[in-house]
Amino acid sequence: MHEMGIAQNILEIALEAAKREGATKIIRIDLVAGELRGLVPMQMTFCFGIVAQNTIASSAYLNIEETPVTAHCDDCGADFKVEEYKYLCPKCGSAKVQVTGGSELRVKDIEIE
Amino acid sequence: MKINVMQDVLQANDRIAGENRQLFKKNRNLVLNLMSSPGAGKTSLLEKTAEKLAGKLRLGVVVGDIETTRDADRIAKYHIPAIQLTTGTACHLDANMVALALPHLSLDKIDILVVENVGNLVCPAEFIVGEDYKIMILSVTEGDEKPLKYPLMFRESSLMLINKIDLLQYTNFNLKEAKSNARKINPDIDIIEISCTKGTGLDEWISWLTAHYQKKLGDLTNA
Repeated sequence: MHEMGIAQNILEIALEAAKREGATKIIRIDLVAGELRGLVPMQMTFCFGIVAQNTIASSAYLNIEETPVTAHCDDCGADFKVEEYKYLCPKCGSAKVQVTGGSELRVKDIEIE
Repeated sequence: MKINVMQDVLQANDRIAGENRQLFKKNRNLVLNLMSSPGAGKTSLLEKTAEKLAGKLRLGVVVGDIETTRDADRIAKYHIPAIQLTTGTACHLDANMVALALPHLSLDKIDILVVENVGNLVCPAEFIVGEDYKIMILSVTEGDEKPLKYPLMFRESSLMLINKIDLLQYTNFNLKEAKSNARKINPDIDIIEISCTKGTGLDEWISWLTAHYQKKLGDLTNA
């Protein structure tokens, strides 16, 4: 259940940003979560609902934008989306690929009142 | 009103991991984050490693378990420093938990520090603790499709040890399939077949360990 710890971190980041702006209520939080993180959105919103109780984010909507795993081929230079965890270049078949995205986990922005 | 935040959710963990890393660098420790499902053989591997490294390289262990100090007790019999962290309900070790254990170890008297994570194929792969490498054990009784089911751990690991290789004939574990599944996810992963009970492959594991320790010392000298 690492979702609970992550929910706690999201809440802290959002509360801190809201405090800086003098907000009285957090309406929405936009989270960017890479596919490699393996977060389960339903579990994530459930855990967030629990940790956010009795805070100004208690009725906030947690919007989770899942980003795909992307990679760059060192041999032919192609940039591609990694499907089903196959880290092989779809153009030239090379295994010399660098992962360029998919492990992000970031609070992008918040909407406040 | 919308406010741009752009803050990494795990930045607190990553910052503490960075502090741990500085401490390891100062003490010239090679640090490995050892992960596997429960019962794959993490503690057995450490017992065998302690035996093999005795008199050559100094081993230290931080071990995480939800309850009990059994693993640390097992390792302490080999006269190597072992700190047990009982995580309560937490399913993984994070950088802060490891940081709390470090003051209880004389890092300057340790060459290789192994952080034995909580038995779990999912969460431990998410959190860096300041390690040089993540390594993992897959045992043949678990099934050869595990890399496809738990890709992040196989993706993040530099080495996969396939343990209980002596039991291979009693299972339907397909060794070739397991390796190909792991390499699909992580083409660069090193793979060593071992048996902690029979001793198979342990010399190769010790060579891997020694080579990576030497590499770390070399990198520190060149830095």
